[in-house]
Amino acid sequence: METSIEQILEEALKALEDASDVETAKALSVRYLGRKGAVTLFLRGISQMPPEKRAAMGKRANDIKNTIDTALKDAVQRFETAQKGLEARIDVTLPGRPVPLGSLHPISLVTQEICDIFVRLGFDIVEGPDVESDWYNFEALNIPKNHPARDMQDTFYVSDNIVLRTHTSPVQIRTMEKQPLPVAVIAPGKVYRRDSDLTHTPMFHQVEGLLVDRQISFGDLKGVLTTFVHQMFDERTSLRFRPSFFPFTEPSAEVDILCVMCRGAGCRVCSQTGWLEILGSGMVHPALYENVGYPAGQSSGFAFGMGVERIAMLKYGIDDIRKYFENDIRFLRQF
Amino acid sequence: MRVSLSWLKEYIAIEMSVDRLVDALTMVGLEVDSVSDRYTYLDRVLVGRIRNVRPHPNADMLKCCEVDIGSGAIDVVCGAPNARKDLAVAVALPGAVLTDGTVLQKSVIRGTASEGMICSEKELGLGSDGSGVLELDNRLTTGRSLKSALELADTVIDIDLTPNRPDCLSIIGIAREIAGIQKTPLRYPDARLPIIGNAVDELTSVTIEAPDLCPRYAARLLSGVTVAPSPFWLQDRLLSVDLRPINNIVDVTNFVLMELGQPLHAFDFDRLAGHRIVVRTATAGEVFTTLDQKERQLSQDMLMICDAENPVAIGGVMGGHNSEIEPSTTRVLIESAYFNPTSIRKTAKQLGLSTEASFRFERGVDPHGTVAALNRAAQLMAEISDATIVDGLIDAHPKPVDVPVISLGVSQTNRLLGTAFPAPTIASLLQSIEFDVRPENDDHLTVTPPSFRVDVCRPEDLMEEVARLSGYNNIPLTYPAVPVRGRPLLKTRASRNRIKQLMVGCGFNEIVTYSFIGSGDGDRLGLKSDDSRRQTVAILNPLTEEQAVMRTSLVPGLLQTLQLNLARQERNLKLFEIGKTFFATESDALPEEIEMLVGLWSGSRFAPSWHTSDVDTDFFDLKGVVESLLLQLDVQQIDFTSLPDDDCTYTRPGVSARILAQEREIGLVGEIHPQALRRFDLKRTAYIFELNIDRLLPLIPDTKLFRPIPKFPVVTRDVTLIVDRSIESGKILQCVEQMNEELIEALQLFDVFEGKPIPAGRKSISFRIIYRSSTRTLEDEEINRLHQKITGQLLEEFKASLPA
Repeated sequence: METSIEQILEEALKALEDASDVETAKALSVRYLGRKGAVTLFLRGISQMPPEKRAAMGKRANDIKNTIDTALKDAVQRFETAQKGLEARIDVTLPGRPVPLGSLHPISLVTQEICDIFVRLGFDIVEGPDVESDWYNFEALNIPKNHPARDMQDTFYVSDNIVLRTHTSPVQIRTMEKQPLPVAVIAPGKVYRRDSDLTHTPMFHQVEGLLVDRQISFGDLKGVLTTFVHQMFDERTSLRFRPSFFPFTEPSAEVDILCVMCRGAGCRVCSQTGWLEILGSGMVHPALYENVGYPAGQSSGFAFGMGVERIAMLKYGIDDIRKYFENDIRFLRQF
Repeated sequence: MRVSLSWLKEYIAIEMSVDRLVDALTMVGLEVDSVSDRYTYLDRVLVGRIRNVRPHPNADMLKCCEVDIGSGAIDVVCGAPNARKDLAVAVALPGAVLTDGTVLQKSVIRGTASEGMICSEKELGLGSDGSGVLELDNRLTTGRSLKSALELADTVIDIDLTPNRPDCLSIIGIAREIAGIQKTPLRYPDARLPIIGNAVDELTSVTIEAPDLCPRYAARLLSGVTVAPSPFWLQDRLLSVDLRPINNIVDVTNFVLMELGQPLHAFDFDRLAGHRIVVRTATAGEVFTTLDQKERQLSQDMLMICDAENPVAIGGVMGGHNSEIEPSTTRVLIESAYFNPTSIRKTAKQLGLSTEASFRFERGVDPHGTVAALNRAAQLMAEISDATIVDGLIDAHPKPVDVPVISLGVSQTNRLLGTAFPAPTIASLLQSIEFDVRPENDDHLTVTPPSFRVDVCRPEDLMEEVARLSGYNNIPLTYPAVPVRGRPLLKTRASRNRIKQLMVGCGFNEIVTYSFIGSGDGDRLGLKSDDSRRQTVAILNPLTEEQAVMRTSLVPGLLQTLQLNLARQERNLKLFEIGKTFFATESDALPEEIEMLVGLWSGSRFAPSWHTSDVDTDFFDLKGVVESLLLQLDVQQIDFTSLPDDDCTYTRPGVSARILAQEREIGLVGEIHPQALRRFDLKRTAYIFELNIDRLLPLIPDTKLFRPIPKFPVVTRDVTLIVDRSIESGKILQCVEQMNEELIEALQLFDVFEGKPIPAGRKSISFRIIYRSSTRTLEDEEINRLHQKITGQLLEEFKASLPA
């Protein structure tokens, strides 16, 4: 045996490495695998070998034949594609064919995000009518007629007893009327106040929350709202609870968050205070339990409400509340 | 509520910096809105020195002064007798604001230019002397700002009070809160006035005919009054909280109002007919002229303060022109009363007249504070107007107002707050703001709030006080144990979210428009008079005509959005909105709220790109969107039928279709009617669709069932029919479907053609029938027979012919 099969393989692969076109590759095919090719000749010679070596050598030689064959075929295809590619070359920097997708309104996006957080915490989503009776919007919430608390919101009236709801809080009453304890709901929706200027639109969106059971505390209110703020913004966003007044909660608290723009240093968005007011909250006033017929002295819970536009403004840095309802397509496409 | 720091310090030693104070007030619930320097108005006033004085060429009484203001000299025309050479004076430069509100400007006085003004202490709000210019200490540096030279400093804090805290509508009220914060004592002003004799009863009387509206009315009488301007200290106090001084009598009533929160009124006693007071309700139709000289129409339930004959004041709201203090007044009757809050509020609302007095009465003044305020005012008036207080006090008190006594559970408080305060801690917190606290038993305290805390009547109110004074932020965070029971997401909400996502996937941008539309929008849509969308819910007090009724259709909002964007050169628009529409029902019942989805496509079919040329969108683009949407939602049996021409007034006849699902109308799709385009000021056409979500929702199945993937191959056959052009393709396909051949898997319409070689008035319609069996491979021959049968039936049914 002058040349070993291993040498043939080494030689063939080396020759292929130097090849750069289809013709050379085809010539190599003839040289090694053709009728008088080196591999073919070697295979023929196996019958001359001692019988105990034949089987192993035959298998090895066949493997090598296949290896060379695959390598040659790959090379031929590679050289062919390269040649054709020169003719079929495209300008890959041209824009792709557009598949236009639309967008959700930022109010929808933020409402959904708020709802998702509370749903994960175990709250159900409920809804109520936009046009409400005076009873649900005011009286049942402990805001009697001729009470100064009515001045806190300018109301659109449909008749003496029917209003456009000024907050989503009536849904609290509607829910408690229908559902026994425990209650854990949030109610997103549109609300209306007779106010229109740089920072107010006559319609806006709120998300109301209500959790009532038998042993719910103000500490729980703080815990739930802290979790919410940390998920909505981030863990660095600290909260501040401040005494306030809502007729339907007692004690009542405004919730400020550390300004998400300046992180408390003071800027235009937070009027240099370092804090942003984003939530009203409190422990449900006992008068509400009386109004919905919950067991006296045995129910306790908290409620809260927030303005979606306000949170969206902070989240996206939107500077003008009126942009939400103008629906300029250049605004909408950004979300 | 505005308070000046200097005034506050009369009653409480403030140990904190202003920043700390502001923060502390905010954190006990008195939200500070702003903090300002009281003397900023003096920013353009400097210390000047008169270098030279010349007589004015055209006026004997005036002088021309050359005044050094440090950075140079200016010429000032001045009329003050004491203006003289080398005098240090206060010079106001152009832009300075004087106490009467005028903004100083360069001027020409009788032909001579004046570049500033040398001021009197009165003009600067620093004293009451207006007879000459203020003479400053000669050692003050020329050119320095007057504010820093005189070390004028006072801070005004503006507090945004919640309606439950009328007790803080006074300087003493705010001082009380600070005392609670600092745990330091408060100095109340001395309001004791011994009652000696009853001379007053011989001179006057008070009769209360409406005790429910006026539970208490106290009065004192002063004689020998000299009405004059108030002393400077009094004017200064009023000016510090933005009240304008008027005269010593009125100023005292305003001073006590601000100091103690009790509104007072001073009558010219000699202008009261019969020299007595009668408190009664007005008679219907009565007219009364208030202090501001406006005529007010009274109604029967308004509480009036009257003399023996006529009304002299609208109780708790405003005094009358007929009895006001005049320069000649010598005897004054001071009123200090407690009025029913609801009654005052109704009256103020009805008259559209909110005053410092009505604002406090309607929120609730201290029912036990009337006499103290009265005494304080009488003393001050006597002091500054040389008057004598007539002996005796009138205190008509027909309906005593009780202060509640509340039993407060200690463990109940801790349970609600999530705290662990021992009883003594709770007691001392409440005592720091003047609540009377006594132990009741192991777990209860008996608490009597002070009479000025009219907002506190339940245990929960006390718990808030405890929480607020100990600091909300000191209450530990806890987490409620919410029982796991998991209700399914509201179907409306889940479906709405899905529809929104599908619309976004179809390339549409969501819009949100106002729920109200203009009262003329029904006309703009051309709605017929009996259209249900004419049953609008009108708003009684709309902001504008464009927002006067609740929408019965989302289309006006959609078209306005189109209009706005076209005006901003945005022509390619695909918009949608989901929202409620509102339909009036019976009067005084809530309207019916129906949720709708609308979509609009205007401009190009394709997004602008180099791949395709610009093609305008058409009916079938939007119909395709609706079809995809309904298909994705799995709504079965969808049909589009031609909309009768007069059915929808805002879509174009012939290019509008009704959308049916399971034979029920759920919406429409069509091109906007040219008339609607014009009425909504639209320069370009658009296609819109409307779907009634409330009707659609029940048609969306809750479950989805997998269909097995077919194992056997299809056989397809094409048909081309030539039919009359009025025949709708849908009818032909429907006819095939109704043959109920089980081997037909699907129909695909692939061509519609009119024109040569098709005869005029006819069109060709081509479609493919896809045959498949779920159990075997179909034989050609079998299908040929079936296909022939189907074709034959169609030819007959539609009087069709086959192509030549």
